[in-house]
Amino acid sequence: MINIALPKGRLGEKVYKLFAAAGYEFPGMLDNNRRLVFENEKLNMRCFWVKPFDVPVYVERGTADIGAAGKDILLERSPDVYELADLKAGFCRMAVAAKNDFIDEPEKILRVATEFPNIAQNYYFSLGREIDIITLRGSLELAPVLGLSDVIVDIVETGTTLRENNLSVINFIADLSARLIANKSAYKFKGEEINKIISEISK
Amino acid sequence: MNLKLRPEERAALNLRSLYESRGYSFYRMSRFEEYDFYADKKDFLTSKSILTFTDINGKLMALRPDVTLSIIKHIKNSEGVQKFYYDEKVYRVPKNADSFREISQAGIECVGELSSKDVCEVLELALESLRAIAGGRKFILDVAHAGIVATLLAGAADEPNKSEILKCIAAKNIHGLKNLNAPEKIINLVQSGGFENFSDELINTIENHKDEIKVDYSAVNNLNYYNGIVFRGFIEGIPESILSGGQYDGLLKLMGKKNSRAVGFAVYLDEIRGDEND
Repeated sequence: MINIALPKGRLGEKVYKLFAAAGYEFPGMLDNNRRLVFENEKLNMRCFWVKPFDVPVYVERGTADIGAAGKDILLERSPDVYELADLKAGFCRMAVAAKNDFIDEPEKILRVATEFPNIAQNYYFSLGREIDIITLRGSLELAPVLGLSDVIVDIVETGTTLRENNLSVINFIADLSARLIANKSAYKFKGEEINKIISEISK
Repeated sequence: MNLKLRPEERAALNLRSLYESRGYSFYRMSRFEEYDFYADKKDFLTSKSILTFTDINGKLMALRPDVTLSIIKHIKNSEGVQKFYYDEKVYRVPKNADSFREISQAGIECVGELSSKDVCEVLELALESLRAIAGGRKFILDVAHAGIVATLLAGAADEPNKSEILKCIAAKNIHGLKNLNAPEKIINLVQSGGFENFSDELINTIENHKDEIKVDYSAVNNLNYYNGIVFRGFIEGIPESILSGGQYDGLLKLMGKKNSRAVGFAVYLDEIRGDEND
């Protein structure tokens, strides 16, 4: 039995379509219902929706053998798992954005609002910059507009939301996309099956 | 007396009798080390946090974060090979945890004028340790050579890039290695293994157990600690690696034992707990 954790939401649906197109179908997965666990007895596989941030937890602890997670979440949580493939879905970037008229004063402590405190911390640590982290759970654009922070560290897809709020990208941090991850121990014993799934969905 | 042992206790006893039968002597830590003893050897500690207390004479002491360092310290500078095993509690902050935990660890250290035959014996003992605690389940011992990775990275990458490359090696992240322009040879090692830098005896040992020992470079994770072979053991159904070890000559150099080499491993007994339902 192979257990698969997929992230609830748009990215997870894209990844599920890769699975379905390769013949790994779980009836009802995309229906609008409250079920969370779907089994395909013929394939001897089970698939479940979890919160995007939790995918690495399920995989690291072996509840799921494999999972799909955005690179942003892997960078933030640095789980001890195998990252076996770039699924080339959900391309976007991790970037620093600020108000269009923002002028950085390097001697000041920079106030950084983000949903990804570890990514922000690591990035500014590598630059030797002292920062004040403000962890938020969404609507990041509001923080610089209302003066809560100087900059935000966030995912940027098209940049439309930034533009509408008079914000722009000032630094690039990392390229993001969905990655296929595997539990290290599960991969030792179910490696062949896992490799087959990867090669089928990457076609 | 009818004493029902917990799975991890039974495993510890099995391992102790295994190591005893192979000529290893029992090492028990009855005292604590001073904090300074660990503080300047942090490269050789798995967890950087150390639990401290003040002794009655005012000295700052450490509640053992590790057993290996103490074994090496107490070994006399004598000829030949010395073999020790232990079964202790260590105090560490596990990854992603926010407090210290007591962790049960059993392991062996083989120290002195090691030949490649000694290294192979330790590798086989690691395999037998897995067999002893697997209870009929499948098990795998991954082996790699940290030295070759260090050599390949020395000229090819600067420090921040190096640590990114190491993370990708541990994660079998080929696309990441390519993005970082990692040396082609490293990508090959991660993708398909290979016996580079392995002694003939070691290659023989691996081939004699080829269903259970695999060359797998994701076992390499800390170039500051290990300089020769490294290995990591897994048991089916246990999500984390249960055994981890390798050759660590650098620690002996750091502790002034110039002509000695060392190889050893630890078994994380807590991972067994709760896994069996009987």
